[in-house]
Amino acid sequence: MDFVTMNILDSAMVSICREMGITLMKTSYSTIFNEALDFTCGLADMNGDMIAVADFCPAQIGGMPLLVQSCLKEIPISDIHEGDIILHNDPYRGGLHTPEHTFFKPIFVEGEIMGFAVAIGHIAEVGGMAPGGFCGEATEIFQEGVRIPPVKIVKRGEDNVEVWKLLLANVRTPRVNYGDLKALIAAVDLGEKQMQGIFAKYGKAKVKETVADLLLYSEKRMRAELEMIPDGIYSFDDYVESDGVESDKNHLIHVDVHKNGGSIVMDYHGTSPQAIGPINATLGVATSAAYNAVLHMTDPTIPRNSGCFRPIEVMAEPGSLLNVDFPAPSVGGNTETHPRIVGTILGAMSKALPDRVMAAEGGTHCNFVFGGVDADTKEYFACYDLEAVGWGGRSFADGNSAVDSINGNCRITPVEVYETRFPWLIESLALDTDSGGAGKHRGGLGYSKQMLCVNDVITCSQMTDRHLLAPWGLEGGKEGGCGATLVMKDGEDTWKTMREAYGKASTSRFNNVAIRRGDRVLLRMPGGGGYGDPAERDPDAVLSDLKDGYISKEAAKKYYGYKEA
Amino acid sequence: MKFSANGYYIESYQKCPNCGVLMYANSEEDRKKRVEHEDKTYCSQRCVDWSIAREKRRASAAG
Repeated sequence: MDFVTMNILDSAMVSICREMGITLMKTSYSTIFNEALDFTCGLADMNGDMIAVADFCPAQIGGMPLLVQSCLKEIPISDIHEGDIILHNDPYRGGLHTPEHTFFKPIFVEGEIMGFAVAIGHIAEVGGMAPGGFCGEATEIFQEGVRIPPVKIVKRGEDNVEVWKLLLANVRTPRVNYGDLKALIAAVDLGEKQMQGIFAKYGKAKVKETVADLLLYSEKRMRAELEMIPDGIYSFDDYVESDGVESDKNHLIHVDVHKNGGSIVMDYHGTSPQAIGPINATLGVATSAAYNAVLHMTDPTIPRNSGCFRPIEVMAEPGSLLNVDFPAPSVGGNTETHPRIVGTILGAMSKALPDRVMAAEGGTHCNFVFGGVDADTKEYFACYDLEAVGWGGRSFADGNSAVDSINGNCRITPVEVYETRFPWLIESLALDTDSGGAGKHRGGLGYSKQMLCVNDVITCSQMTDRHLLAPWGLEGGKEGGCGATLVMKDGEDTWKTMREAYGKASTSRFNNVAIRRGDRVLLRMPGGGGYGDPAERDPDAVLSDLKDGYISKEAAKKYYGYKEA
Repeated sequence: MKFSANGYYIESYQKCPNCGVLMYANSEEDRKKRVEHEDKTYCSQRCVDWSIAREKRRASAAG
């Protein structure tokens, strides 16, 4: 192996992926891209194996190989031409959920396909039953938006007009969707151009050989990491609360992690059957979550590509919560069930790797979605509001507060931007005292956002989690605080859940509630579980938390033995 | 996964009962590896073996 060229090439390709991301961010229309950064840009070889990616969303990073390879099973390489761009979002064919749109463009060098530039982005408005793409009460895929099989949205450099017309006719915000889709196309255009430069500099043979070495190197590094973990079978159970349709029914995620030498298998058999409502995960999600968990437990300097995924296998029973069968819904699987799968794996590995796991994190992106007609412009607007959570305490540190859930790596939209783009007034946004689970190392804090509706009506839906089942602690650490979604109608003075106010089956998953001018909505995000016995917490840390308002005096006395002077 | 005769839509989905991977009816590469076991079609012998081992392990743990 030529390690020097390999490192240079790897760094160059990761840089290209970052540039693709910057292009997408700066040219997109929706806040989900230009503020929240809910996208991933990568490069793949001609077999669809991921060869480079930058620090984007773990959910999409792990899903990328299966997404591209599924498309290549339907569109043979011989049918892919220079200037084509393929688009796909079908959850049942390697996809993650309907909002996640994958674009990939072939990289031709001297008439030969050498690989693909790939961009995956969460399109905020995809049609279907609820504006904003998250139909919390969906019972079938047809309610979750336009489902796109692998199609060429661009053919030999020209827009495939019939595909564009069909897509834009079935969404509430065609102007914005057009802009966002074009931004994703700009990203893969840039990736293609930059990679052609790499091939021009090094030559096809050298790049091909070096990329193969890079994948092998990543594989070997990952296997060496896995070898250090004691062999065995490690098991854990966690639950997803409700599915938005059948209230008060929890759904089991079970994992047996088989660690054997340099390989690891996540066997999810024993998990609940698929749900009626949209908490189901696709195989792409189950696979991506397995990769995500392993990446979090292993050396972060291992280059991220399909090579480091080779030692990881997934077994997800068809028709289960983690491998949904057509036509059951799955929009919540990629955002809500994915972090729960990761948490289950980390829980299983907590005995083998106590220093490399954390207690449960908040495990939700909030997914408060809404739409309506702007009173000034008369144009339909739609938004996917992504919020953050507290992360779990660790054996060596507190959990981080207000960070996007483990599969996201996204940003919260700043209040100022939110208020400019959408008819809400944000009345408060603050960390919640006592939301981090007590422990020797405390869980990270969640927070609350209170919003006042300043439009005649905004249609709201949500697909969130952790309203009922709190994030668990580890090694004696206490549970983190639960989330909540509350509404105070104009003229009233009490906060109510969506179940109390609108008769919904679930407080955390619902569709199409009309929020009117003067109504208020409170979004409370869960905190992380604690790690270790609270009695062992450093007294100075307790005092510091008190001073900062992270814990109350009552909690300090109850959990940490605090005594007032 | 089986397409309609005209290729415009999917008629049925078939997945390996062990690992859950989608099996494509028109993939020669996939077909070569498939194994029939107890009236089910698996993607590979590895999945058959894993499935049998899992059942034995669970039966032993339950017993």
